[in-house]
Amino acid sequence: MEMIYLIFIIFLGGAVATYLLGKINGVLRDITFLATLIVPAVLFYTQVSIGQTVDFSMSGMNLQWGITDFGYIFAYIVLGLGVLAGIYAVAAMKGKENLGFFYSNYILSIMAMMGILFSRDLVSFFIFWEIMTWSSYLMVVFSGKDVQKVGIKYFIFSAVGAYAMLMAIVTTYSLTGSMMIDSLVTAYPGFDFSMQLLIPILLLIGFGVKSAMMPLHVWASGSYSHAPMAYTAVFSGALSKMGIYGMIIVIVSLVSQIPEGHWFREVIAWLGGITAVGGTLWAVAQDDAKKLLAYSSVAQLGYIIVGVGVGTPLAMLAALFMAVMHGLFKGTLFMAVGAIEKQTGTTNFTEVTGLIRKMPLTFLASLMSIIALAGIPPLGGFIGKWMLYESLVGSDHYMLVIVVFFSSTAAFLYCYKFLFGFFLGQEEPEWAHVKEAPAMMVVPMIIMAIGSFILGVFPGLILNPIDAGLQELGYASTQGRYWEMSMLFNEWGDKVVLQPILYTIIAVFVFFFVFVVAKNFKKTRYVSTKDISSSGEIPKAHENLTFSRGFFQPFLRAVEPLMKHQIDPLYTGFGRGMEAIFDFVRRIYTGNGQTYALYAIIFAVLLLIFKNQLFGL
Amino acid sequence: MELLTHILGAIATVILAFVVGMSYGGIVRKITARVHNRIGPPWYQNFIDAFKLYGKTTAIHHGWMQIMGPAFLMVSSVVTLMFIPVLTNGGWFPNLNFEGDLIFLLYLMVFGPLGMALGAGQTGNPNSAIGVTRGLSQMVGFEIPWVMALVALMIQFDTTSITGLMEAQAQSGTWNMFSSPFAFIAAVLAMLGMFRYSPFDIVGAPTELASGPVSENGGKYLFTMMSSGSIFAFVKLTLYVDIFMGGADNLVILLLKTFSIYMIPVLYGIVSPRYRTEQAIRFFWGWPLFFGVLALIYASIF
Repeated sequence: MEMIYLIFIIFLGGAVATYLLGKINGVLRDITFLATLIVPAVLFYTQVSIGQTVDFSMSGMNLQWGITDFGYIFAYIVLGLGVLAGIYAVAAMKGKENLGFFYSNYILSIMAMMGILFSRDLVSFFIFWEIMTWSSYLMVVFSGKDVQKVGIKYFIFSAVGAYAMLMAIVTTYSLTGSMMIDSLVTAYPGFDFSMQLLIPILLLIGFGVKSAMMPLHVWASGSYSHAPMAYTAVFSGALSKMGIYGMIIVIVSLVSQIPEGHWFREVIAWLGGITAVGGTLWAVAQDDAKKLLAYSSVAQLGYIIVGVGVGTPLAMLAALFMAVMHGLFKGTLFMAVGAIEKQTGTTNFTEVTGLIRKMPLTFLASLMSIIALAGIPPLGGFIGKWMLYESLVGSDHYMLVIVVFFSSTAAFLYCYKFLFGFFLGQEEPEWAHVKEAPAMMVVPMIIMAIGSFILGVFPGLILNPIDAGLQELGYASTQGRYWEMSMLFNEWGDKVVLQPILYTIIAVFVFFFVFVVAKNFKKTRYVSTKDISSSGEIPKAHENLTFSRGFFQPFLRAVEPLMKHQIDPLYTGFGRGMEAIFDFVRRIYTGNGQTYALYAIIFAVLLLIFKNQLFGL
Repeated sequence: MELLTHILGAIATVILAFVVGMSYGGIVRKITARVHNRIGPPWYQNFIDAFKLYGKTTAIHHGWMQIMGPAFLMVSSVVTLMFIPVLTNGGWFPNLNFEGDLIFLLYLMVFGPLGMALGAGQTGNPNSAIGVTRGLSQMVGFEIPWVMALVALMIQFDTTSITGLMEAQAQSGTWNMFSSPFAFIAAVLAMLGMFRYSPFDIVGAPTELASGPVSENGGKYLFTMMSSGSIFAFVKLTLYVDIFMGGADNLVILLLKTFSIYMIPVLYGIVSPRYRTEQAIRFFWGWPLFFGVLALIYASIF
C-alpha cells in the first residue's frame, strides 16, 4: 500500500480510536493519541520522498496527493510542533473533561494540515481546508465560554474565506476544466486581466483570514485566547502558517506572472506592515497573557506577509525562516502560558507575579523564546528580522522598513511586560504554593527553546530546505549568495558571521558573571522581594507594591491616535446593518393569514397594472 | 597567535572605552556644575565613585536574574564595542569589525537594557519597573528617527556595514554629516534621547525614582552597571563619529571628535527641564521624524 495513504489512514483511525477510547480508559487514550501523532511523523520522514505522488479519482475528479520541496518546510512546522505540543497537551489537559473529543480534534487538525500540504489538486485542498477550519472551530468553543462572541466571529470569517476560495476554485475549473493546481499555474497567463485579478484576490481572502492579515484579523485575538493553550500553540504556530503557505503559492506562482503584479504585491506588503504595527500596539495594551500573545501572533504574521509581499529572494527566505521561528517561539510561549494557567489558575498579569523562583524552567523557556521573538541576537528570531530588513532596504521599500522597524521596537514593550508580569516583581504570599509544571509540559518547551537557540547560530540547517522549496517555486539558489551554514549576506555583500558573535557573547557574559559573583556570592544572602527599600521606606509584609496596572500607560497615551481607528466597529456596524435588513425581511413574514392574502391581492393588482409592460400585451 | 592579538586588542579596547567614558562622565559633571554656578567635583570623581563601589562588599541579593542583569548589560556594551571600528585603520584595535553590520548592531544594543531590565525586575522594587517601562517607551520614540537616518545612509551608499560607510567617506573626502545633512540632524536629535540627559531623563528620574532601574543595586552590581554605562557612551559616540564624521585616524582626533559631539546632548540637557514620557515620545515623532523623512527622500533622490 502507498505510504501516503497509510499516513492518512493512521490519522483518521487514530482520531476515531482516541474518541472512542476516551469513553473507556484514560491511559489507553493518551497512548493512542501520542502514537497517532508520532507514528505518521516517523513514517513521513523515513518513508515518504519528495516528489512521490499518488493519483486516484473520486466521482469523476482526478485527485493527486504528493509532497513538494516547498510543502516540506511547512511539514517540519506542522509535525514538529504537532508532536511536541501533543506531548505537552497530554500533561496540560490532564483531569479535564471530554478529552477524547479534544484529542481527536487535535489529530484531525494535524491531519488536515498535512492534507493541505499533500494536496496537488484544488478539491482535496479545499476539503482539507474545511476539515482544518472545523476542527479548529470546535477547539475555539471547547471551553464553552463566549461561544456566541468569539466562536461565531471565527466561524463567520472562516466561512467568508472558504466561500471566496470556493468561488476561485469553481472559476478556475470553468476556465481550465481541470482541478490541478499545476494546470491553474500553467493556464493562468492566458486568462484575461479581470480573471487574473479576481482569482488571486478571492484566494487571498481565504488565506488572509487564516493568516490573520489586516483587515481580516479580528477573529484572531479571541480565538487564540479561547482555545485550550495546548492547542493554541499549534493554532498560532502551525495552523496560521497554512494561510502563509497558500499565500506564497498564489503570489509567487500566479501574481508574479501578470505585468501589473508589482502593485498587487506592494498592497499585500503594506497590509502586512499595517498588520504588524496594529498587532504590536494592541498587544502592548493587553493585560491578559493569552490576548497579548494572540495580538503578538497577528503582528508576527504581519512580518511574514511583508516578506511574502516584497518577494525578492532574500525577503522570501526571511518570510519562510520567520514562519519556522514563529512556530518555535510562539508555540513555546503559548505552552508557558498554559503551564502558568494550570499551576495558578489565571493568566492575568495584574493577578499573578513573581513566579521566577517557583517556575524557573518555565521562565527559562519563556526568556529564550522572548529573546527570539524580540529578534535579539544570538537567538533565531534575529536571523529572520535581519534578512527582512536587508531585503526591504535592498529593494527600495524605505518607508515600509521604518514601519516594520517601529513595530518590532514596540514589540520590546510587550516582551518585557510578559516576562515581568508573570515572573518578576514582588512575590506575593498568595502564590507561595505554586510549583513548577509537570515534566511532560516543561520538556517540550525546553526542547523548542533550544531549537530556537540552535537555529540562531546555524540558520543554514533550516535555510537549506527553504532554499530547496524556493527553487521549486522558480527562484535561483541562494546558498552562498545570501547565506551559509552560519553566515548571512545582504545584496551588497555585507555580512553577519554568527559563530564568532556567539563565542564573544558567551565569553563576555561568563567573564562578567564570574566577576560579579566571585568572592561575592558566598557572603551575600538571599532576601525576599519584600525586603527592599522603596523611597527610603521598607514596605510591610502585607503591602503589595507590585507594579502591573497601567504598565505602559505613557506609551499608550503617546500612540493613542494610532489606536483610535479600529476595524472591529466597522464590522459590527456592517453586521448591525445586515441585521436591520434581515429584521425588515422578517417583518414581511408576519405569520398572519390575512396579511399573506393581502400580499397576494397586491401582487395581482400590480400584475394587472403593469401587464402591458411585463407581457407586452 | 592571531587569536591572542585579537584578545589583547579587545581588552585594550575595553580599557580605553572604560577610561574615556568615565572621564567624559566626570567632565560632564564638572561642566554641569559650572553652568549651575557651582564648583563641582573634580573630573576624576567618577573613577573614585566606581572604585569605591567596587571595594564594597554586597550583603544581599534577590535571586539569579538580578545577578545576571549587570552581566547582560556588560555583554551588550562590550560586544557592541567589538563591532565598532575605533580607528579607521584598525591599529591596535583589530576587533570583530568585519563580522557584523549596522542592523545587527541596532539589535545587539537593546540586548543589554532588556537583560538589565529583567535583573531590575527581580528586585521587586516598583521604582525599577516604572523606570524600565519609561525607558523602553522612550526607546521606541527615538529609535524611529535614528533608524530613518541609518536607512538613509544605507541607501545612499549601498552598504549596511560601518566600515563600508567609512570607506565611502574616505573616498569622497566629505563627511556624511555634510553629504547627507538631514540624516545627521535626525540622528543627532535621536541622540538626545539615547544619552538620557535632560529633557529625556525621566527614565532614571534621579530625584523621585531613586535612579529608576538601578535602584536596589549596590556594590559590585552598581560598579558593573556604571562601567557598562561609560563603555556604552563611548560606543555610541564612536559610532556617530564613524558613520557621520569619517572616523578617526588616531586617538587624539577620536577624542576631539567624540567630545565635541558629546557636548550636544550634554549642553542641550543642562538648560532643559524634563519631559514626561509621552511628551518625549511625541517630541521624537515630531521634528526628528520630519528630518528623518527628509533624509530618506534626499537619499533616494541622490
